Amino acid sequence: MKTIILIILGIVIAPVLGGLIAGLDRRVTARLQSRFGPPLLQPFYDVAKLFGKDKVVSNFWQVFCSWVYLIAAALSVGLLFAGSDLLLIFFVQAIGAVFLVMGGLSTPSPYSQVGSQRELIQVLTYEPLLILVFASIFMVTGSFRIDEILAYEQPLLIQLPLMFVVLGYALTIKLRKSPFDFSTSHHGHQELVKGMLTEFSGPYLGIIEIGHWYETIFILGICALFWHTSLVGCVLLIASTYFAELIIDNTMARMTWRWMLKYVWSIGLAMSFVNLIWLYAG
Amino acid sequence: MLPMMLVLAILLPLVAAVGCYFLRVSAIRSLIVLCTGVVLAAVSLALLGQGTFTYSPGTIVGISWDSLITLADFALLFVMLYYAFKLKNQMIKIFVILQIIPLAVFEMFFVDHAVETPAIFADSLSLIMVAVISVIGSLICFFAIPYMKEHEEHLHLVKSRQPQFFFFLVLFLGAMNGLVLSNNILWLYFFFEVTTFCSFMLIGHDQTQIAVKNATRALMLNALGGVAFVFGMIWAYAETGSLDLQVIIQAGPMGGLMLAPLGLLCLAGFTKAAQVPFQSWLLGAMVAPTPVSALLHSSTMVKAGVYIVLRLAPAYAGTFLSQGIALCGAFTFLACAAIAISQSNGKKILAYSTISNLGLIICCAGLNTSWAITAAIILIIFHAASKALLFLCVGTIEHGIGSRDIEDMHGLYLKMPRTAVITIVGVMTMLLPPFGVLLGKWMAIESASGDMFVITMLALGSALSLVFWARWAGILLTAPLRDKVPAESQSALTRLTLTALAGIAVVLSFFSPVIYTKLIEPMVGKSFEITAGVFTSPMGVFAVYPIFIILAAAFIYSWIETKKSASDKTSQTYMCGANVPEAGVQSFIGPMNGPVELKASNYYMKEFFGEEKLTLWVNFVALALIVLMLGGAL
Repeated sequence: MKTIILIILGIVIAPVLGGLIAGLDRRVTARLQSRFGPPLLQPFYDVAKLFGKDKVVSNFWQVFCSWVYLIAAALSVGLLFAGSDLLLIFFVQAIGAVFLVMGGLSTPSPYSQVGSQRELIQVLTYEPLLILVFASIFMVTGSFRIDEILAYEQPLLIQLPLMFVVLGYALTIKLRKSPFDFSTSHHGHQELVKGMLTEFSGPYLGIIEIGHWYETIFILGICALFWHTSLVGCVLLIASTYFAELIIDNTMARMTWRWMLKYVWSIGLAMSFVNLIWLYAG
Repeated sequence: MLPMMLVLAILLPLVAAVGCYFLRVSAIRSLIVLCTGVVLAAVSLALLGQGTFTYSPGTIVGISWDSLITLADFALLFVMLYYAFKLKNQMIKIFVILQIIPLAVFEMFFVDHAVETPAIFADSLSLIMVAVISVIGSLICFFAIPYMKEHEEHLHLVKSRQPQFFFFLVLFLGAMNGLVLSNNILWLYFFFEVTTFCSFMLIGHDQTQIAVKNATRALMLNALGGVAFVFGMIWAYAETGSLDLQVIIQAGPMGGLMLAPLGLLCLAGFTKAAQVPFQSWLLGAMVAPTPVSALLHSSTMVKAGVYIVLRLAPAYAGTFLSQGIALCGAFTFLACAAIAISQSNGKKILAYSTISNLGLIICCAGLNTSWAITAAIILIIFHAASKALLFLCVGTIEHGIGSRDIEDMHGLYLKMPRTAVITIVGVMTMLLPPFGVLLGKWMAIESASGDMFVITMLALGSALSLVFWARWAGILLTAPLRDKVPAESQSALTRLTLTALAGIAVVLSFFSPVIYTKLIEPMVGKSFEITAGVFTSPMGVFAVYPIFIILAAAFIYSWIETKKSASDKTSQTYMCGANVPEAGVQSFIGPMNGPVELKASNYYMKEFFGEEKLTLWVNFVALALIVLMLGGAL
């Protein structure tokens, strides 16, 4: 019963939190760029506006894929709140990722096609790193279950500092921030228009936006596990991590997928190895 | 009752095969294949209900079955030798002779024929294998009936070669059933060789130059496996003094000299399962008609390889050999998933993905915890169903559009909606939770988590496979699509087999907790608590029923929303405002004001994952790992 309540709580709270974080993101970014920025609730206004627009589609599978994406993202966050298994949650999240790509590929627009192919490379880049992060958490705590991990006495950050940096890479990719924002850029006027999302519009784009809020919470939730022992530490860790993401986003130019794959895999694997060897030796 | 069922499982296919060969009327042949398939499937399920047993068949008209098998074995080896001479292939000659001579010496001078060895032993692993072979294999044979008819129409043959084709196809099922039920290692070896020979004949079926070349290569590499098997078998007999597989296994976990024969037997398994660096024969096997590829890749042949490695797992538990096997398997998983990304030939993608998944199964056998063995068995079951389905889908698509290149499958949903959706279902069952393959992958990754190298390779391989599957599923849908697509016509047997396999892949996944408690747990020991369809252990949770139900609801809801979208406005494909202003035309205005048709293709990332680029290095590393594995065993 408790589990079900937690799942529902997660599913209800996560998009609100995710939207607020997106709003905060826009304000802080604006300040970094010496602008005033939109109100904190702007992302909610945007999505509300999207839902008020006419429904327009070019391939009916887009509708199907956007809904599956949202539901899978919501389910993965629900499972996260319920303290389920890290890998299982990750695989459920992958359902959403796969269907989003399928939605992008379902229309012949070259922007959407290229964006989807790039998105797959993004997934290819972050997925092994996330699995390694989970494996390292397992090595420290002896379990993949979040309820067991939360029972561990020390913050994981002490033993897994490099893995946290690796998770940071995954976070940057997953949030589609520079230098890794080439499948769907923040701004619709860039070289790839809006990439994978080019052909989604109106309510269906709104659905995807909410799904994205869930994914933000999903990754930040994983970050939170690294300092689960105190609430203050946890909030501090997430806030500073997200701020670092913003700085990176605003100071980096977009790179190519070749660079990303080589760079993130090599650095990510190297750091994982160093950290895992510490654990073995320790 | 039991002897009857065994006769049906092993000998009925032989009789049916002979029937297919001599009764050269297509209606009769179809009937034989259908009846055999139904009987085999029923018997395999009955055997599954029967549970563990040991059985010795005794004699037939005064001659012991053991001697009959020996006789047949030598006959088969000489047939292979005949083909080696016919093909003028020195390597095959050497490999076959290297089997005949040691085996003859072994049979004549070493084996104590007075000792009674139970010929047949079945535990859950064997019975699951029999069910996989008999149910999925039979479905593939059903599919072959209309397929081969069309295939021969395409080739404009004067004289049908179907009798021979179905002879080997049906015989294959019997040989596989024999292989997984054998307890006497000499019997196992005989059936091992029969599968080698059947695959050789089936791959070369079309008799084109390339088919003969690839069949030769398959025979050569599998004969090499046969050599490893013979030497492993003789060595194991020298160590334990027994032909009884159960005695050999129960002598373990063991160290020292016994590891070397086990290593050789596993090497034989590696060649059969086409692990790198032996993968080339299975890739070559794609030239065969689709039902052959489907059979080799899903329920037979390669599964014989992983079966042997898995069967011997308790014997080498906790040794260096075990770690070596885990590393080899994990490397194959990673390497073949990487190469698969750079392929656009649908069958080739499937082939690499098969090898990759077999690597995962072998890796699980090497990890050798009860968790990992559970993972391996689950992977065997569900990989067989999904992969058979996908191969048959590619075969159907190939007959429909005349190509097996995934670039030509852009927008397949418009032309073949039914096949396209079933293909996507097949891809989903290979890739996503809560389906069985992913359940196996989840168990594999969690049980590998203590081993830094293995877990890294599994993590990378798992991500790589997502790319080629998701990409393929996505492009099948590519089209501006607003109206209902006209239904696709399929022959009844094609439709039946595709639907049945998709049903097995999906529905059986739902019952994975039951499969675990009823079949796997009694054999490998308890590693999970199951409550309300949720796999639970202190280390992890996988909620099969809840996720299944929630996702099913999600899919239904999404489909309802999709149906509702029929009244939505239709948008033009976005082309930066340069669309040719005609309804239904997918072109933009290009240079010289001329229309340019839209064209997009997949990223194959050849500079990272190209087949030519990687194969040499992959083979080199894999060979090094095998040397490490065997050297460590010595």
